[in-house]
Parts: sequence; C-alpha cells; structure tokens
Amino acid sequence: MNDLSLALEFSGLNKQFISGDSGQKIPVIESIDYQLKWGTFLSIIGPSGCGKTTLLRIVAGLDQATKGQILINGQKIKNCDQRVGLIFQEYALFPWRTAIKNIEFGLETQKIAGNKRKKAAMEYIHAFGLQGFEKKYPKELSGGMKQRVAIARTLITNPDIVLMDEPFASLDSQTRNSLQEFLFSIWHQRKDTIIFVTHNVDEAVFLSDQVLVLSPRPAKIMKIYEVDIPRPRDRTSPEINTIRKEILENLSKN
Amino acid sequence: MKLTQFLLPIVLIICWQTASLLQIVPTYKFPSPLQIIYGFKDLIVIGMPPGHHLQYHILYSLYRVFWGYITAIILAIPLGILLGWSNRLRLLLQPILELIRPIPPLAWIPIAILWFGIGIKSAAFIIFLGAFFPILLNTISGVLSIEHILIEAARTLHASTKDIFFKILIPGSIPSILTGMRIGVGIGWMTLVAAEFTGVKQGYGLGYMIMTARDIHRPDEILAGMFLIGLIGFLIDIGLRLVERKLVQWK
Amino acid sequence: MKNIYIFLLMLTAVLLCSCSQAAASQGPTIRMAYLQNDIHHLPLWVALEKGYFQKLEVDIQIEGVFKAGPEIMSAFAARALDMAYVGESPATTAVANGAAKVLAVSQVNTEGSAIVVKKDSQLSTLSELKGKTIAVPGHSTVQDFLLRKGLSQKEIPLKDLNIIVLKPPEMITALDHNQIDAFIAWEPYPSQSQTLGIGRNLATSRELWPNHPCCVIVASKKYTKNHQDKVKAVVQANIQAINFIEQNPEKAAQIALQYTGMRIETITRAMQNVHYTAKLNKQGELEYVQFLTKLGYINLSDPERFVQTFVNSTFLNQCTF
Repeated sequence: MNDLSLALEFSGLNKQFISGDSGQKIPVIESIDYQLKWGTFLSIIGPSGCGKTTLLRIVAGLDQATKGQILINGQKIKNCDQRVGLIFQEYALFPWRTAIKNIEFGLETQKIAGNKRKKAAMEYIHAFGLQGFEKKYPKELSGGMKQRVAIARTLITNPDIVLMDEPFASLDSQTRNSLQEFLFSIWHQRKDTIIFVTHNVDEAVFLSDQVLVLSPRPAKIMKIYEVDIPRPRDRTSPEINTIRKEILENLSKN
Repeated sequence: MKLTQFLLPIVLIICWQTASLLQIVPTYKFPSPLQIIYGFKDLIVIGMPPGHHLQYHILYSLYRVFWGYITAIILAIPLGILLGWSNRLRLLLQPILELIRPIPPLAWIPIAILWFGIGIKSAAFIIFLGAFFPILLNTISGVLSIEHILIEAARTLHASTKDIFFKILIPGSIPSILTGMRIGVGIGWMTLVAAEFTGVKQGYGLGYMIMTARDIHRPDEILAGMFLIGLIGFLIDIGLRLVERKLVQWK
Repeated sequence: MKNIYIFLLMLTAVLLCSCSQAAASQGPTIRMAYLQNDIHHLPLWVALEKGYFQKLEVDIQIEGVFKAGPEIMSAFAARALDMAYVGESPATTAVANGAAKVLAVSQVNTEGSAIVVKKDSQLSTLSELKGKTIAVPGHSTVQDFLLRKGLSQKEIPLKDLNIIVLKPPEMITALDHNQIDAFIAWEPYPSQSQTLGIGRNLATSRELWPNHPCCVIVASKKYTKNHQDKVKAVVQANIQAINFIEQNPEKAAQIALQYTGMRIETITRAMQNVHYTAKLNKQGELEYVQFLTKLGYINLSDPERFVQTFVNSTFLNQCTF
C-alpha cells in the first residue's frame, strides 16, 4: 500500500432513494466529502436511520451513489468491489457450512487450492480462539463466536478496506467488551484500514483513531473527532471520558 | 416408534377378523385379515395372473417409478433454482406452470399413450408429471427462502454468479428440495399404480396385478396388493427422511 | 382415553352395518347389463327394439353398458344387477371365486371372436405369435380363455407371449400404431379393423375351439328365486330374438347399426362369424371350468357339481322355441 495515496476518498457523495409507490425522492445522504488514510481505524456514529448503513453499502459496492465520486486507492469504485470487505451485524454466516468452511469461503471463490486454504483457515481459527469449534455449524456457536467467524471470514481475504456494520450490537456487554479488545489486538497486528459503524460512543472512542459524527437524515458530516489517546486505552481514563462527553453532547443537540 | 402406537391397529385387526368370522361382514366384499395373508401367499407362490409372481411385480413397479422420478429430479431441480433466482424468468413461466399443474397426472394417460406408446415410457412419463411439480415448487421456494443478506455476503467475498449458484443457492435450498423430493416420490408412487391400470406391456406391475386380481375376482389379493403398495410407499418415505436428516444437520 | 375407544367401537359398528346392507330393492324392473358394441348381444337389442319384453310383461332397465365381462361380474358382486348378457368365462370365474352368485339360464351365442393382426403383417400361424405382444379385453374373458386354450392346444407355451389388457375400442388404434402385434376381441371389432383397412384375421375363434360356447344370460340367484316368471320371460324373449335374427338378418343388422354406430359392412361381416343359439352346453361349461382351473384362475373342490348348479336349463325347458 502506497502510504502517500488515500485508502478512500469521497467527493460530493449523495444518495437518494426513490419511493416505489409515489416516485418521491427521499434524500438519505446529502453531501459528504471525506478522505481516509491507510491504516486508520475510523468509527462512524450517528442517530438511527441517518444513513450509516447505506453509506457502508455504497462503499462495499452493494448500492450505488446518486451523485459524487468514490475512489479507493485512487481508483473509481466498482460494483461489488472486491477490494472491500463487509462484516454484517447479523453475522450472515452460511448456516450449511461449518465454522472453518465459512472462513474458507472467500478463498474458495478465489480458487485457492484445498490444502492451502485449510492451512490458512486453521491459522485464523487459532488466532481467533476458535480451536475445537472449527467443525461446528453456526447454530451451535455462541453470538460472540459467530461474530469472530464472520470477522475471520472477511479478514482472510485481505481486503483493502474492512467495513463493519454495528458488528457487536446484538451481543451482551461482557462479550462485547471482550470482542472489542480482541478486535483491537487483531487490528494492532495487521493495521487494516477499518470503517466501523456503531451506536455506542464508548465503543467508538475505545477503538478508533477518528470518530466521524453524522447528522440525522439526510446525512452530513457534523464533526470529525481525532482520538489521539495512546493505546492500549483504559476505558475509564479521563481523556476518554472527555471525548466521550463531547461527542454525546454533540449528538444530543440534534 | 413406541409400541403403544401399534395398539390401535392391532385392536382394529382383531375386530375385523372377528366381524368376518361372525359373518357380519361378507367376506367376498371385505376379506378377513387371515384371508389377506393367504392372498399374500398366493401372490408370491402362484402369482397374479398365475405365473406372474409378486416379487417381479414389485421390481417392475419400482423400475418404472425410478425412471419417472429421476427424470423429474434432473429437470425440476435446475429449473427450480433458475426460477428461484431470476424474477423475470419466474414471472414469465409462472402462468404456464400454474396452468399445467392442476391437471392430474392420470388425465395425461391417453396423451401419454399416444406420444410414447404402451410401455415403460408412458408410465414413467405419468410418474414424472406427478413428481415434477412438488420438486420444482419446493426448489423455487427453497431458493426464495435464502436470506438476501447471505447472497450479499457472498458477493463481498468475491463470489461470481456461478459461485452463488453452486455455493449458496443449491446448499441453501437443500432442505426444501428434499421436502419436495419426499412429496414427489409419494405422489409418483401413488400415480404409478393407476398408471399401470391402463396397459402394461411386460405383464408386470403392482397396479396391473391388482387389476388382474379384480378381473379374476380375488379381493383378498387386491387388498394384499394395496397393503403392500402402502407399505412400500411408507418405506420409501422413511428412507428419504433418513437422508434428509443426514444432509440437513445444520438447520 | 376411554371415550376414544367407545367412539371407535361405534364407528366400526356403523361401518359394518353400512357394508352389509343389501343393495337397491328388487322391484318389478329387471336391472340388466350388456357389453359395449358386442355383436353377441344382438338378441338383447332386437328384443328391446321389437318390444318382446313388453309383450311378455317385463320391464327392462339397462343399468350399465360395460367394457368387459369381469366388470359386469363385479357389478353383480356389488348387487347392482339382476341379469346380464356376459361371457361364460368371466361369469364362471366370478362364481367359482365366490364373488358373484349367479346362474346361467340361457346360451346366447357360440363363436364370434377372432385374433387380428395388422393387414400387411407377415404372421400366418399361431405359433408365429411367439415373442409378440397381444391384447385381450381382460383376464378371464372368453377371448383371454380362447387365446390361452388355443395356444396350449398347439403346444405353444404361454410364457412366450406378451399378453396385455386393453379395452376393445383401444385395440384397433393400438394395432394401427404398432403398439401391439395382435389382439383378440369379440365381433364386431375384428370386422371393424378389416373395414378400416387396418387388420386382418389371423384365426377365428372357430379355429381355436370349434363350436365353443361364448355368451350366456346370467341371473342373480336371489332374483331368480323371487321372480321366476320374469327370468323365464327374458329367456323366452331371447329365443324370439334369435329366431328373428335368423329370419331377418338385414333388419337385425339395422338394429345392430343403431347400437354400435359402426358401418354396415362391418356389421354384416361380423354377424357371419357369430352363431346365435339359446341351447346351454354343460360339456362346454365343464371345459371352461377345467381349463380355468389349469390356468390357476379358479380352484374348485367339485367341478362337476359346480357345473350342475351353475348351468340351469329349467327356464329354457319351459320355453317355446
């Protein structure tokens, strides 16, 4: 990765939905300009329905922007862009595949040979603390394990940008905290470029380099916070608290 | 299956045999259980028509069902996956399919004989028609039941359309497909017997056997044959259920 | 739980009662049946058209026109018929197997069937039927019987043939489309296949079993017991009709046209192959019983006694010829 170029760049990004019945145009994203540097852990926070998920889907290539330009690594975004990985809130694991087979999926589609695949997948199984569960089906895994499989499944394909759509939202707070720490340790090793959408301000501040706050719909960038606090971070530290308070005030103003 | 489940049938059989012995029920209309057992023996030893033994009737019937059923599977599953995937194709073909579906397979018999002559092809065709629609419709609904998010996840993981078909649509719809296959073989088996009423070239087949027993007035053999048909259908269903259980562990 | 068993017992009782209930009442009308397009049953049609039954003060109701003899016998088993014109072979099989309780009260005809092959087929003898597919109207019909008897007399093993069951109307089409190599049926089907230019006779029934008895009039035992005069009237009307056919063949042919809808050439040719007679033939019936037993269709402990009771000439003997 060229450190001088940007991982991601939005210019004048705008998205409108057309209501099926009335043909009425519903603006979801008004106009976003933003530049994301490589290796950044970016969190996006905003009120419900503001368009965060839509934004992610556009970056993943699952939806198209109405206006504006998106560049990844200096090149225009393509449909279902293969340079981007997406981790869903609902895990979206393939129920008929075991944990290890789910993880192997992205390698199968790239025609990687069987034994190579298996080796790589087992490394991730170990790295993600899933030993002993690789042959289990998703219905036999806990929520936390399922999400770890989902993350492994995406990371094994080494996408340029990793998108995460409220991945820990459906987990209890204990599992959530441990997964946050887990995610941090993974990221710390690999230095992926991550866009992390969440509702949870604590989570955002704990994990991110930058926190981007969106307005209610139609989404605009309200403010970008730089979180310069050195890692590993203490959730209870005064610096974290300060930024937390600021963001919360900002959000409640709307 | 618990033993208590057999209690009711046993009680009924005892009542039935008693009623026959006491002549409450005329045995030429309603043979007693004992007579039916003797009927079985005659079917195996003497045969119906005489010389055509039960074992061969069973084999021929299974053979005809097999061919009709395999054809149904080969055509219905790929077509079902295609129609489940493509809204446009589905809307295009739906009126034609919905028009043909309500026609009972047996109504096709005269046309089948016209097209294929009297023999295994026309019988297999009738069975094909009976099995085709349940398999097709269940395959389509199986594909439609796959959560859209799984397809999007696959796309983000570099899946081509071919990958989606083989790695998502087919495995994801297997539970529905198997249900359709189970229903299809049940209907195919039921249709077979009636299909064999109308002309069976080799002189073998369970439906043909029952028809002949009717012509020669052996109601005991008719009932023995009917019971056997039910039993075989039951066993086939159990077989498929076992396959289902193995393949759908993940649900 | 107890309630369920009581309910089941009541249900069983209801079902048994409905099973053993007698069929429709036996009123003044005779419920009669015959075979579709079977020229052997011409005397019945003649008697109906010429009003012989009315003159003898009996009322005939045609309950059904059936496609083959075994079906008529099933109707007797279901107590839906009082009398019928039917083949001697299916009647014998049904009575011997306890399905129907009827008596043969009059003959109707002898002979009148044929084995038909395609017009341009190379087959010329029975033994050439080896390995071929031949259709019969049903198991235990007279035609089925004739075929098997004829073959066994020529010492052709039955195993060498593919015998399938088709209803006679379907046979000509099946022959035309080469789905079968031959069929055996009652007149006028063999004649019709010739008229249509599709088939020709390989052998008439005369060649299979000369003077074989074919169709009879049967009456249910119960009906006969309670309505002897009516049974006698039917037998008498039959005799009158046979006389009429003998003396007025063209007029009889016209009546046959009405009932079959076939062409006059077919009818004329068919009638030449049939011999109408009312005289019952106990020896012929005994041959039926013996061969049906050999075929495994029936299993009688006392064949002679069976023939004595089944063939009942009482009414014939009371009639004028």
